[in-house]
Amino acid sequence: MNEKYKILIVDDEKGLRIGTQRLLEDEGYDVVAVDCGEDGIRAGTEQDFDIAIIDLKMPDYDGLEVLKRIKNSRPNTICFIATAFASYDTAIQSTRLGAFGYIPKPFTPEEFLYQIEQGINQRNLILESERLKKEREENLLELASEKSRLNAIIKSISDGVLVINKNGELAYYNYAALKFLDLHEIKIGDKILPLLNKNITELVEKIFSSETILLKSYATQIELKPNNELIVEAAATPIPHPDGSLAGVVIVLSNITEFKKIELIKSQFVSMVAHELKAPLAAVQGYLNILADEKINLPKEKRQDYLTRSIVRLKSLSDLVNDLLDISRMELKTKHREIEDININEIIKNTLQLFEIELKKKEIQVEFKTEENIPTIKADYNEIQRLITNLISNAIKYNKEKGKIIINVSSSTNYLQIKIADTGIGMKPEEKAKLFNEFFRAKNEKTRGISGTGLGLSIVKKIIDSYYGKIDVDSEFDKGTTFTINLPINIK
Amino acid sequence: MALIAIIDDDPDIIDASSLVLKSKGHSIISASNPDDGYKIVKEQKPDLIILDVMMDEPDDGFYLAQKFRKEGINTPILMYTSVSKATGLEFEKNEMVPVDDFVEKPISPDELIQKVENLLKKEGK
Repeated sequence: MNEKYKILIVDDEKGLRIGTQRLLEDEGYDVVAVDCGEDGIRAGTEQDFDIAIIDLKMPDYDGLEVLKRIKNSRPNTICFIATAFASYDTAIQSTRLGAFGYIPKPFTPEEFLYQIEQGINQRNLILESERLKKEREENLLELASEKSRLNAIIKSISDGVLVINKNGELAYYNYAALKFLDLHEIKIGDKILPLLNKNITELVEKIFSSETILLKSYATQIELKPNNELIVEAAATPIPHPDGSLAGVVIVLSNITEFKKIELIKSQFVSMVAHELKAPLAAVQGYLNILADEKINLPKEKRQDYLTRSIVRLKSLSDLVNDLLDISRMELKTKHREIEDININEIIKNTLQLFEIELKKKEIQVEFKTEENIPTIKADYNEIQRLITNLISNAIKYNKEKGKIIINVSSSTNYLQIKIADTGIGMKPEEKAKLFNEFFRAKNEKTRGISGTGLGLSIVKKIIDSYYGKIDVDSEFDKGTTFTINLPINIK
Repeated sequence: MALIAIIDDDPDIIDASSLVLKSKGHSIISASNPDDGYKIVKEQKPDLIILDVMMDEPDDGFYLAQKFRKEGINTPILMYTSVSKATGLEFEKNEMVPVDDFVEKPISPDELIQKVENLLKKEGK
C-alpha cells in the first residue's frame, strides 16, 4: 500500500505543533495539525486517522475529553496523549480511555518517532484483524461461533439445519443435520457439497446457478434409508447479503417418515374403498345389461332372480356407504367427543331390544349375566353403542338357527370386561388372523348367504383402541366365537 | 365352441358372465378363489381363462396368471379389473405381462363377447 499514513496533531503550543508536523512529514507521513480541542474533535471524528497525538492540557478542552470523543467515533485510530505534566494518574486514566501510548514532554525526535512506529504497527494489526473478521462474516463462517440464544435453539431442534456459503464451505450445522445425513468427521469450513446426498447437492446447485437472486426455495423428498425407513423433506433457501448478492444457502431437513406412512395407508384405503364400491355396481350393471339385451332370451325366473339380486347388492352398497360415513364421522369425532358416564348394561339391553326381530327370526336364545354395581365408564355414548351393536349384529348373523348368545359383564379394579359369545359358524385360524382388517369378510361354504360390509369389526377395533382398551377373539370353526373386550374404567 | 373358465370371487359376476357367454354357445366352468381356480384349470384345461384381478387380496388374480405362465400354461387369459388397466399392477422389470387382454368392470356383454372371440381366434378355436 503506497498510501501515506495519516496523523493528527492536537496541541495549542505552536512551536511544538509545527516542529512535530515537520518531523513527521519528513518521515513520509501525512499530517494535519490543529491548535485546540474543538478542532481536534472535529478533525478526529470526521476522518479516520491512523494516529492522533493529543496534548493533555489545552485551554478549551481537556485532552482526555478529546481522546474520549475521537475513540468513540473512530475506535481504530491509535491515540497518544502528550503532556508536560506527566504523572502516573494521568497515564493510567488515558490508558483507561483507550490511549495506546503516553508521551511525556519534552521528547527527543528518536523517542517520538519510535513511539509513532509502534502505533503504526498496532494500527496495521487492527486493520488486518478487522479485514479477516469481515471476510469470515461475509463467508458466513462466523455463524457457528455465535454465542447467541438463537444459536442454542437451532442446535437443539429436531429438524436438521445446514448452512453452506457461496464457496461451497460448511458454515453452520446442528446435531439433527449430522444425524440425518450420517456425517461424522466434519468441521466448519469443510467443502461440504461432495459429502452430501446428491438430491440435496442438486438443490444447492440450482440456487448457486440461478441468474437472479429471487428468494426462491427448492424442496425435495429424499429416502435416506431404504424401504422407507427414513424419509426427509429437504428445503433449500438462498441467504442474501445486505446488498442482495448471494451469501449462501440454508438447508432444513424435516423427518416426514410417519407422515408418508399415513399417506400410504390412506391411499391404500381409498383404493380398497373404490374397489368395494365398484363391485356391487358392476354386478348390478352386469345384470341390467343382460336384462336390457334383446338378443338374449331369458326365462322368467332368471329375470326375477337377477332383479332380486340387484336389489340385494344395492342394499349392501348402501350399507357400505353408511359404514364409511360412520368411520369418517368417527375420525372427526375423536376430536369432538362427548364424554359422559356410560352404563354398559343399559346399552346392551337397548341393543338387544333393537335386534328383537332378527333374534326371533332365527330363534336365538340370549343369556345376559352381569354383576351388581357395575362401574360406569367415561366415554362417548354413540361410540360405545356402535361397538355393542356391531358385535351383537355379528353374533346374530353368524349364528346357527336356534343358537345361543351369552353376554357376560364383569369388572376388576381397573377394567370393565364384556364377553359376547355365540354358537355360530366360528372361524378358521387364517380368517381369525385377518378378522379386524378393513373390508375383510370370511368367505367359505358357510358364509354364502351372509351379507355385510367387512367394516363392522374394524370399526369396533378402532373404537376400542381409541379408549386404550383390548379385544380378544376365541373361536372354533363350526362351534362358535367369543369376543372379550376390556375397557379401562378410569378413562381420562 | 369353447370351454371357458371364470375365476372371480363375486358370484353375481360369474352368473352374469356365464349367461352371456353361454348364449354364444360356450361352456363355462367357474371357481371363486385362486386355489380352486388353479385346480379347475389344471384338471379341465379350458380354452380361455377369465380372471378377476382382485379376490381376497389385491392382485390375487394377477399372481395366479403369473403362476400359470411360469408353469407353461399358455391358455389366453382375459382379466377383469375394477380400476383402469394397469393401476395397482406392479411388474418386475423385463417380466412379461402374463395377461392377454383386460375388460374393465362393469362389463358390457358386447365387449366381453368380442374380446373372448378375439382371443379364441388367435388360438385357432
